[in-house]
Amino acid sequence: MTEPILRVENLHTIYQGEERNVYAVNGISFSLNEKETIGLVGETGAGKTTTALSIMQLLPDRIGKITEGKIFYQGENLLEKNKEEIRLIRGACISMIFQDPMTALNPVMTVGDQIHESLSIHNYDNLPEEELQKRVDELLTLVGIPANRKKEYPHQFSGGMKQRIVIAIALACKPKILIADEPTTALDVTIQAQVLVLMEELQKQLGMAMIMITHDLGVVAATCDKVAIMYAGEILEYGTVEDIFAGERHHPYTKGLFEAIPSLDSHSRRLKPIEGLMPDPADLPPGCRFHPRCPYCREDCKTGAPYLFERNGHQIRCNLFQEDTAI
Amino acid sequence: MTSLIHAVELTKYFQVGKKRYLHAVDHVNLDIPEGKTLGVVGESGCGKSTLGRVVLGLLPATSGELYYQGEDLIHGNKKQRKKMQREMQIVFQDPYSSLNPRMSVYELIAEPLVMNHVYGSRRETLQRVQELMEIVGLAERFINSYPHEMDGGRRQRVGIARALALRPRFVVCDEPVSALDVSIQAQILNLLMDMQEELGLTYMFITHDLSVVKHISNEIMVMYLGQCVERAPAEELFQNPLHPYTKALLSAIPVPKLGASLKHNLLRGEVSDPINPEPGCRFAKRCDHCTEACAGKNFQLKELGDRHFVACALYQ
Amino acid sequence: MAAEKQVKIRKKGRAGEIWHRFKRNRVAMLGLVLFAVILLVVILADVIVPYEDAMTQNIVNRLQPPSSEHWFGTDNFGRDIFARIIHGSRNSLLVGLGAVAIGITIGGLLGAIAGFYGSHIDAVIVRIMDTIMCIPLMLMVLSIVAALGASLVNVLLAMMIANIPQYTRIVRSAILPVVGQDYIEAAKSCGTPNRWIIVKHVIPNAIGPIIVQATMAVGTMIINAAGISFLGMGIQPPTPEWGAMLNEAKNFMLSDPYTVVFPGVAIGLTALSLNLMGDGLRDALDPKLKD
Repeated sequence: MTEPILRVENLHTIYQGEERNVYAVNGISFSLNEKETIGLVGETGAGKTTTALSIMQLLPDRIGKITEGKIFYQGENLLEKNKEEIRLIRGACISMIFQDPMTALNPVMTVGDQIHESLSIHNYDNLPEEELQKRVDELLTLVGIPANRKKEYPHQFSGGMKQRIVIAIALACKPKILIADEPTTALDVTIQAQVLVLMEELQKQLGMAMIMITHDLGVVAATCDKVAIMYAGEILEYGTVEDIFAGERHHPYTKGLFEAIPSLDSHSRRLKPIEGLMPDPADLPPGCRFHPRCPYCREDCKTGAPYLFERNGHQIRCNLFQEDTAI
Repeated sequence: MTSLIHAVELTKYFQVGKKRYLHAVDHVNLDIPEGKTLGVVGESGCGKSTLGRVVLGLLPATSGELYYQGEDLIHGNKKQRKKMQREMQIVFQDPYSSLNPRMSVYELIAEPLVMNHVYGSRRETLQRVQELMEIVGLAERFINSYPHEMDGGRRQRVGIARALALRPRFVVCDEPVSALDVSIQAQILNLLMDMQEELGLTYMFITHDLSVVKHISNEIMVMYLGQCVERAPAEELFQNPLHPYTKALLSAIPVPKLGASLKHNLLRGEVSDPINPEPGCRFAKRCDHCTEACAGKNFQLKELGDRHFVACALYQ
Repeated sequence: MAAEKQVKIRKKGRAGEIWHRFKRNRVAMLGLVLFAVILLVVILADVIVPYEDAMTQNIVNRLQPPSSEHWFGTDNFGRDIFARIIHGSRNSLLVGLGAVAIGITIGGLLGAIAGFYGSHIDAVIVRIMDTIMCIPLMLMVLSIVAALGASLVNVLLAMMIANIPQYTRIVRSAILPVVGQDYIEAAKSCGTPNRWIIVKHVIPNAIGPIIVQATMAVGTMIINAAGISFLGMGIQPPTPEWGAMLNEAKNFMLSDPYTVVFPGVAIGLTALSLNLMGDGLRDALDPKLKD
């Protein structure tokens, strides 16, 4: 098997507070092959964005800290690199797009200039200016915006168009990995569908790997190959989309998530929420992090790390599956 | 069936420049029977929130008629209107910005009671606040908490308790679960449905999310650029959507199922602003079925079958 | 049901809570202690040192450096600088705090009304304020004092009027983002009257920048008052006043620096104490910073 393009091993990230530390990511591991999309799914506070920022090493200075773990990009540990090396990797090899396209663009620069800026920073081949401008036009066309609009300012574009421009900037240097942090959450459904379809096509066309961070299982089904269900900074279930969306064995949290979604086909009026709330990341429960909300909670869930079930790459962290492996 | 809210050709224009008017709500008819829920669905900028505010009297209507229990809300005398508006409340979208960060839960829930001089004594007010907290499922230990100390779900419960304080009969829910996580979203939706049953409330449920509205609504109205393009009983609308926009909205929802694709029926273009719109179908520019017949005149809602209305050239 | 009876809403209310948070801020407490000392000096001035000491001229002893006899030295008329600072505190604080307090009350109210109601009311208020702002501060103050006659009260009045536009602007810009918040609409929708919304919802959420600006302005006000005194209006020599002392001493700044250092330090400490207190108060007013 070839080396995956990105491999995260036992990553721990904390935010240091004045009085207490916030344990945002607590030992997650996953790998991403070339041209593959992994979905990091979870609710607010699950540690999805922190994971992305850890990979990009864009954690807030002094507060955010990776305390343990390794992040391999093409076999090299990113955590051992110095700031300058990381800067060169950012944008050129790994790019990120953020949730809100309204604030991600500089309002006083034309969109063409903003794409150009990203190109010229990583212009190692010393391409002449005309080449760069040509590339700007190419990128705009690629994301479905007429190239003649490059002299316009962000406010002249609608929300969906802005997100397309953000994508164009992120893709400017042909990154190997694109991290998309809730790229469509701020958009309307019909526009969301357009942007998701665009991202899927671009990924195929450019052969990138993608990390799709979202809270929406529907978005995952439409775009991802692999899925990691995150909760309180841990991956509770990990596997291919087929593993997660089909099959018999699931983590109780995954099951709860699916049941809580208001579905278009169901005829019942009432919904099935997951009772209780996300734990406070500064004060996580012992044992399985999900046990206070879990309908199947047993005594052994309240202490000690939950059992790790694994079959053909499908991982579930839950004591319920202790007996199952014997089969 | 008596309707609690009845609106005829309700219209709200905003002036955005010299002789430029944004048609936020354009000749919309409403009929909400007591104890039922009307779902209002549409994308941002379709005027659904403006409609809710006009119905509540938070924004004055440009033209049209509006009745609450048969009483005229637009031309009626001020005192009467004020009294009726007490029975009409709103739950806001964002539980983070709709609660004053400097007020405690007690102060927040008590505000409508104090402002309307409902109770003479502090003891009675406290009692009612406690009662409301119990109704919305908020533990009493939060009574002295501030909004920032609570998560989104609990904050939204405070928002609901505030809306219920004056014992309203009609509540406009303006995207009450859009800012919440799925697991919490389901809790709040269930709470809203329980309260409707227990207190006999009538809802106008505004949302951009068709899957949410399906569970709570009896009737659904789809809006596009200020106009109602389709209206039908909830089940009927999902089984048999007629307007091309409704169809596109339905197929754009990412379904959490294997092999789901969004490419089917993908809508092109984006919503524009309805500023001084030309007569004709406002969706025509994005519509695959658009013909010459779509321009030139406005389409009225036409009843096709059982309480299913649609405004589209295809069904005239 | 016993538990239900134990639930109490905080009776001591907002003030107690704010004091509790303020107390834990050491820097703010330092400011408070400093300001308390200054206030004490104002009250006990006559006990600390007799007023005559501040007024008695002694040309022979002019411009003496600090000594055991004259702790802060003497000025160009041979008056004891220590005594003048002690007795000058009253006038200086009156001018500084008075001008700011009244200016911010009137300016703040106008700003709140302009920001909250918007449209025509806003336009009218802002235009008037802009017009006043166009007139240079000193010119404005001088013409008002010239018209009303030179006295401490009139200087105060003039500075206050000259400062209203500035506060109107600050308060208006602090209030605008708050007015757009959903909770303002939420309050309206449950029947809260506008004046109550301004007092209960708008001002508490906009007060942070206003407090900081106000506490910083006190020092400037004292200096401005000194400038007016220098031009022969307002507080007249030989009445002791910090700003006036600075002004008189500026000719001897190089040869006898202590003549400017001590009044300067006095103004600085006053401004600093208010500033620290202001920062602390702003934080204490915000329940988000409770823990």
